[in-house]
Amino acid sequence: MDDKIFEIMQFGVYTASILLILIGLYAALTKKSLIKIVIGLSIVDAGIHLLLVAIGYINLGTAPIFSPGYEDTASKMVDPVPQALVLTAIVIGFAVTAVALSLVIRLYRHHHTLEIDEIKNLKW
Amino acid sequence: MVGSPVLLIAIPLLAAFLIPLLGMIWKELVRIIPGLVLAYMMVLSASLLYYVLENGPIIEILAGWRPPLGINLVFSPLTGFLTTIMTFLGFIVWLFSYRFKRNVEFEPAKKYFIFLMMLIAGAVGIVLTGDIFNQFVFIEIVGISAYALTAFYTGRNAAEASFKYLLMGSLSASALLIAIAIIYSQLGTLNMADIANNIHLMDPNFKVIALILFIVGIGIEAEIFPLNGWAPDAYTEAPGPIGAAFAGIVVKAGVYAMVRMVFTLFDVSGATEFLLIIGLVTLIIAETTALRQEKLKRMLAYSSIGQMGLVFVAFGIGTVEGIFAALFLMLNHAIIKPLLFFSGSYLVFNSKDKKIKEMNGLGKYMPMTAAFFALGSFAIVGLPPFAGFWSKLSILTAAANEGMLLIIALILMVSVVEIVYYFRVVNRIYFFKFDKASTVIPHKPRINAVFAMAVLGILILLIGFYPDAVTGVLHKASDDLMNTQQYIKNVLSLGQTLTN
Repeated sequence: MDDKIFEIMQFGVYTASILLILIGLYAALTKKSLIKIVIGLSIVDAGIHLLLVAIGYINLGTAPIFSPGYEDTASKMVDPVPQALVLTAIVIGFAVTAVALSLVIRLYRHHHTLEIDEIKNLKW
Repeated sequence: MVGSPVLLIAIPLLAAFLIPLLGMIWKELVRIIPGLVLAYMMVLSASLLYYVLENGPIIEILAGWRPPLGINLVFSPLTGFLTTIMTFLGFIVWLFSYRFKRNVEFEPAKKYFIFLMMLIAGAVGIVLTGDIFNQFVFIEIVGISAYALTAFYTGRNAAEASFKYLLMGSLSASALLIAIAIIYSQLGTLNMADIANNIHLMDPNFKVIALILFIVGIGIEAEIFPLNGWAPDAYTEAPGPIGAAFAGIVVKAGVYAMVRMVFTLFDVSGATEFLLIIGLVTLIIAETTALRQEKLKRMLAYSSIGQMGLVFVAFGIGTVEGIFAALFLMLNHAIIKPLLFFSGSYLVFNSKDKKIKEMNGLGKYMPMTAAFFALGSFAIVGLPPFAGFWSKLSILTAAANEGMLLIIALILMVSVVEIVYYFRVVNRIYFFKFDKASTVIPHKPRINAVFAMAVLGILILLIGFYPDAVTGVLHKASDDLMNTQQYIKNVLSLGQTLTN
């Protein structure tokens, strides 16, 4: 890819990831439905994962695997560390979402509603 | 050497996942195994700490990749001291809750012990690890098990408290991950010592942003002021021993992660002053809010937040004496607050609202539990013959040596507030008439609970009369935190290493 186009693309990816984080934050902080809040948390996670992968990418990079015929391409490999981080972060995000949804189910059984305004036994 | 530091993380995790299988063989194993594991961890941690105090820190390399590439564990006087407190407290919590839910069901007890083991494994991991992403993973392990434990009771408003905790915890973990992404993009490393070594190369603006995101991310576990909204509800709704585990284990891990960031990783000027200010704000707001609480556990929760504020004030003084005082207070809080939670949860046993009003005159009916509660109250406000006195005194001396008179005045004023709300409860227990309308059922604590409380009570008296028993360790630990260059050298040039 041409360097100029690559720079524009990279800028686009960074912008998209920050937009995703902001959209997720907006949903988590302002929405009244518990399900929408959990969706918001997942969107924040997705934005951060995109940011992490974008940090590790280089122009015309190849997969960070040594294989026959590609021994001399170490300098062109994308950084594998952010990808490992993202894999771990995805698993953690999945666990948190699962716990959150099970709590939502428990709240729904208890209060018969998902509106956060109607579930207010504790001080918020 | 009796074992390697990695066992302190690996064994409780293994035990957590083996508990359900072993429970199929014999149900009692579910209760026995955690105790054996925690006792082993306590002995291992204490003997490693003894070794480390003599011979210098142990750096353990995991999976054969040397730092800065791989993940390493650092068992230094500071981390060893905190690990020893945590494993000891984990053992005490196990002892207190050994017969937990004994007569009710098997299933809840199983889950309770699984999550307790995961909580302790995660907290020990936060303290021992030398890699920021690894620390993030451990923070999430602690978080997820803490959410689950908060929601333990289905009848109360536990799910609501837990969801609140989850919402804040998950957003702050996102902040932490962004901070890690910024640091990695700037420095290309995740190892703490390597970051500390190269932090001057980082763009100053990014540095400040990353530090703020770190503080937001970790502050949730350390209960600093704007991020502690989850604490009162979680402490109230969670089972009694879990409140003790939060106050003694989770919060300590959060405070450690925070001071490690500020003192070792970042060289931002004004960061210690920031800790001082945020500690003061936390202290004053939490203690004045505690004064207005009607529920016992809510009051204890706010008091716990206030104590953490005081710890940050002591760290924020920035001298070795200040750090010494902060670590001393962390130790005292870790033994006093669980005693209050244990005895308090018996004093409001079976009560629906857990109100302080309902504790009137219980001193006559539950003399032993009430005595433990009174001992804890006297110790935490800092009356002279008890442990809390020495830590408060060392904070005040550290502040006086720096000429921070205003801070001394504020701490003393807040201490008066603390005395008022603790003594109000003790007064009700001993000098009020037992209320017939109260729903509290006076009953004797079980023998294992008495034993757990007695151990904590004896420790409080022991540290109160012989503070020299612990000051040696605390001095070494505070020197360890101050000496950043030594930390970097130990990890990167590998003074004394252990390879797996």
